[in-house]
Amino acid sequence: MTNYLEVTNLSKSFDSFQLHNISFTLPKGYIMGLIGPNGSGKTTTIKLILNMLGRTGGTVKVMGLDNITEEQKVKSELGVVFDANYFSDDWKVSQVEKSISVFYPNWNRQKFADMLRKFHIAPTKKVKELSKGMQMKLMLACAFSYDAKLLILDEPTSGLDPVSRDELLKILSEYIEDGEHSVLFSTHITGDLERAADYITYISYGELFFTGSKDDFVDIFRIVKGGIEELSDDLKNKAAGIRTFPTGFEALMKTEDISGFSNLTVEPATIDEIVVFTSKKGDDYE
Amino acid sequence: MSNILKSTKFDIALVKPYFKTICFTLLLPIVFAAINRSLLTGVSFAMCFIAMTTGYTFSITEKNSMDRLFGILPVRKSELVIGRYVFVLAMGLLSLIISLIVQPLVLKVLGETVGVFDIVTAAIAGIFLFALYTVFQIPGYYKYGSIKGRVFMYIPVAGFLVTLLLLSKMPAIGNLIISVVESSLILLVFLAVFAIVVMYAVSIILSIRIMKKKEM
Repeated sequence: MTNYLEVTNLSKSFDSFQLHNISFTLPKGYIMGLIGPNGSGKTTTIKLILNMLGRTGGTVKVMGLDNITEEQKVKSELGVVFDANYFSDDWKVSQVEKSISVFYPNWNRQKFADMLRKFHIAPTKKVKELSKGMQMKLMLACAFSYDAKLLILDEPTSGLDPVSRDELLKILSEYIEDGEHSVLFSTHITGDLERAADYITYISYGELFFTGSKDDFVDIFRIVKGGIEELSDDLKNKAAGIRTFPTGFEALMKTEDISGFSNLTVEPATIDEIVVFTSKKGDDYE
Repeated sequence: MSNILKSTKFDIALVKPYFKTICFTLLLPIVFAAINRSLLTGVSFAMCFIAMTTGYTFSITEKNSMDRLFGILPVRKSELVIGRYVFVLAMGLLSLIISLIVQPLVLKVLGETVGVFDIVTAAIAGIFLFALYTVFQIPGYYKYGSIKGRVFMYIPVAGFLVTLLLLSKMPAIGNLIISVVESSLILLVFLAVFAIVVMYAVSIILSIRIMKKKEM
């Protein structure tokens, strides 16, 4: 299987935050969700992939090319969408094309026009007149117009209404249909991952928690529920996270550890629950 | 088209919505030229004013968080920097040409005679002042952003004041400089061009270093 993205032991040190040895691979033709709580290092990882930040250690290969020594070649194959627009507010959509297309030799004007039509974006409109969802689509239209092989999106769905989010996820699914494109997108809206992602990389506070297929991720954990009197020390020790209520508790446990607690209610864990429990944030969590 | 020229073209597109404002900047020096009946004064003001608009590209990119766009374009940071210098220089040259056409015409209408010597000295003074203002500003903008970096615009002013102060203390040196400059127009042109090239070379190297170290 060809990997479009290979991240190995990627590290970055800031004064107040460290990203430690992040490693994952994204095969060609798939969508990977990069998840984690706010401040966990998702955007830092993306910026390191794009060489917008200097790394402390590790390597990044995009389509087999080193992201630093072959930076220009790498970037001509990448499409990037951030959580907010990066074009000049005063530009018309047609000006965006004029300004950006010169940097990409394989820019396809017809494709850009088609994408604008598909996304219902008028070329005469100014960027500042577009809604956030439309600005997102404009960034995508640009990436599609030079046939970016790997699309990287940083929190693309944050701030979008459910309809726009649904549309965006549909666009991403269509984009990888031909098996020649891949998508890496960071999000903290885990519902998006349930719909679109094939792979998940979960970073928690600068550390790699999991990387692999979405099904494997969900399969690792189970939610165990019971009355407060059933919350034993053994369960507390084995649980990845516990939430207590006046009437009972919910615990996230590794699937391999639940055999000893067959008297309790065991349910599949959602991605959201795994992230929330393992992040161990909030007063109700232990 | 080279990546440097692509970057220059990109900067032109950035500033395009503000061209009217920039053109307006060139109107006021015409009034100065008319009041002082001096092409040198008018052109010098025009070039100083236009040098102050150097920050436009930096303000626009900052306002729109376009550092992220620069971070994803398949262009080297050094090419982006040189492209911006080419843009700034092109703006300066264009303003100089416009000023050297419009201002003598206005002065002629007012009954003043403008000779070749006046035009050449005004052109040299104008481009030298423009270079002096921009070579400090641009690295300042790259390092500190469009608001804090504006402070660097005042370095040449401070430099002028210090020079004037020193010359007033040592009038002999001042007279010597004036006599050397007056003796040969060619020498003046040569010195000015040499100084401009050196200043821009140092400024570009500095800006590239700043950009390469910068994390976006």
